[in-house]
Amino acid sequence: MPESPADTSSPADTRPAYPPPRHAMRMLAMESEQFETGDVRGWLPVSPMFTGPDGGPRIGAIGMLVDALGGMRSITAAAPEWAFTADMSLHLLPTGPIERIQTDIRVLRRGRRTLVLEAELTTDDDRPAGLALLTFAVVPRPDHLVNIVIDTSPGRRTMSRLEGDQEPPADYHRELGFIEESAGIVMVELRPEVGNTVGALHGGVHTALVDEAAVSLGRTLLGPNATTTDIHLAFMELGFTGPMRAEATLVGEPANNHLTAVVQVLDGNNRVCSYATVEVSAP
Amino acid sequence: MSDRPDPTFGSGEMRGIGMSHYLPMPVIEIGDGSAPLPTTRGSFTARPHVLDADGRLETGMLASLTDSIGGMTSGLTCLPDWIVTTNLSLRRSPDALQGPRGTGDLTINTQVMRRGRSSVVTRSTVSDSGGHDVASSWVTCAVLTPAGGPPPFTRPVRMNDHERSDDPLFELPPEQFFSLEGGGRPGEVLLHPAVHLRNPWGILHGGSVAHLLDTAARCVVAGRVDPGPTPGIIVSDLVIHYMNPGREGPIIAEASILGSRGRDILVRVTARDQGAEGRLMNAAAMTIRVL
Repeated sequence: MPESPADTSSPADTRPAYPPPRHAMRMLAMESEQFETGDVRGWLPVSPMFTGPDGGPRIGAIGMLVDALGGMRSITAAAPEWAFTADMSLHLLPTGPIERIQTDIRVLRRGRRTLVLEAELTTDDDRPAGLALLTFAVVPRPDHLVNIVIDTSPGRRTMSRLEGDQEPPADYHRELGFIEESAGIVMVELRPEVGNTVGALHGGVHTALVDEAAVSLGRTLLGPNATTTDIHLAFMELGFTGPMRAEATLVGEPANNHLTAVVQVLDGNNRVCSYATVEVSAP
Repeated sequence: MSDRPDPTFGSGEMRGIGMSHYLPMPVIEIGDGSAPLPTTRGSFTARPHVLDADGRLETGMLASLTDSIGGMTSGLTCLPDWIVTTNLSLRRSPDALQGPRGTGDLTINTQVMRRGRSSVVTRSTVSDSGGHDVASSWVTCAVLTPAGGPPPFTRPVRMNDHERSDDPLFELPPEQFFSLEGGGRPGEVLLHPAVHLRNPWGILHGGSVAHLLDTAARCVVAGRVDPGPTPGIIVSDLVIHYMNPGREGPIIAEASILGSRGRDILVRVTARDQGAEGRLMNAAAMTIRVL
């Protein structure tokens, strides 16, 4: 769902600044550029803290890029209303080691109640790196966002990032607080660092959590180089009660170094907050 | 709402739904029909002319089945409103892409996961006659109030349990039943929206679109212009966004290859209604496994 790229709330607003200092978005140091058309381009510098066995970025971090940039694109596309991410599919191609990944987001359809976006992913040497499709539910602007003004003027800008004296983490998922309970089951406490503007689990963190649970299952069944290659994720409820838990369950049996799984993200009350199917493979 | 001719097949709630005669799947509602989030089960009986050489239903047609049962189950939770599919995801398990697993008759268990104010999400698990799970699917539908009201139902639902039509139309191979025609290059496929490919509201059935998109994706990988079987090439997962209905035709699907990962090819596919100024109907992403 759209997240404000900076704290732009009104002066009377006493809520803590969003995002907090070591928020999941800040650690990725993403950049964005908004065009006159409203379309958005963004970049994610690729860091060893979130690369997979082939040296390319893991799908969890790319999910954050796509979710954040898609959210930006939705602001102008849905205006004067608001938009929440309803689902996201993300297919990755192998990139090997790269310096950064780029995504270009465009509107496929703005309907009365839904918005469909496409995100094309490319490497820094212009190779295709994947494709994402997102659906947003278009809704009346929620009360807590009525006074928020978000800068959507054309131009390139740095998104939220760590302050100058802060060290980036060695491992992105560990910094988020992901804990593997057993093969295919990963939990995370609901802290401000993994939350969205309303305090629920951030959509991009959902993707990373699904990725981690899928890879956890894949490591057990396919070996240490298991990688999530694509995700179809439906967001259903905001997760307000922690801890959040992702559970990956096999569909059928592994074959030819591939497995298919269903991953559910449940909140502390065992409510299903998101539902995904994933493909995991090992070279 | 449509100027289409009256259907010449089917009766009652099935009148005019050609897809339900081509891919017959009796559906029953589990329980007494009072559950706020219904659960249903579909039993698909495989007939040879819709299967590939291994006896496996092509992924687009399997998506048609999960669209049908997912849509109906979503609709039950919305009565007296009804639904329209907006997004469909389907993924086959890797052990069911070749060999005997996943061939023949199929059972689809479906349940509503979420009923919101404006949308419904269902999930379906597909199993084969050996009881093995062979695919997983979820469908998102938008809630709407249809002109003329929803289809008539008696709860708990027993649906599609009708006499099979003896119309030879339903014995045709898929490329003929779906009125497909090759376009100007591999991956470009045209569908002529005949009456039997439409739903009761006169728009192109979501399952017809799924088969069209699947065909275009397989053909671009196979490098063939004419739609038809592509032995050794199968869609292992697909996501289809339904954005606008197909009404006029011909419908053109265009598939393009984005890249590969081993034997998996990532393909983007769109469908446009050429008779409606090329309006974008669908966008899809698919992975094609070259066996």
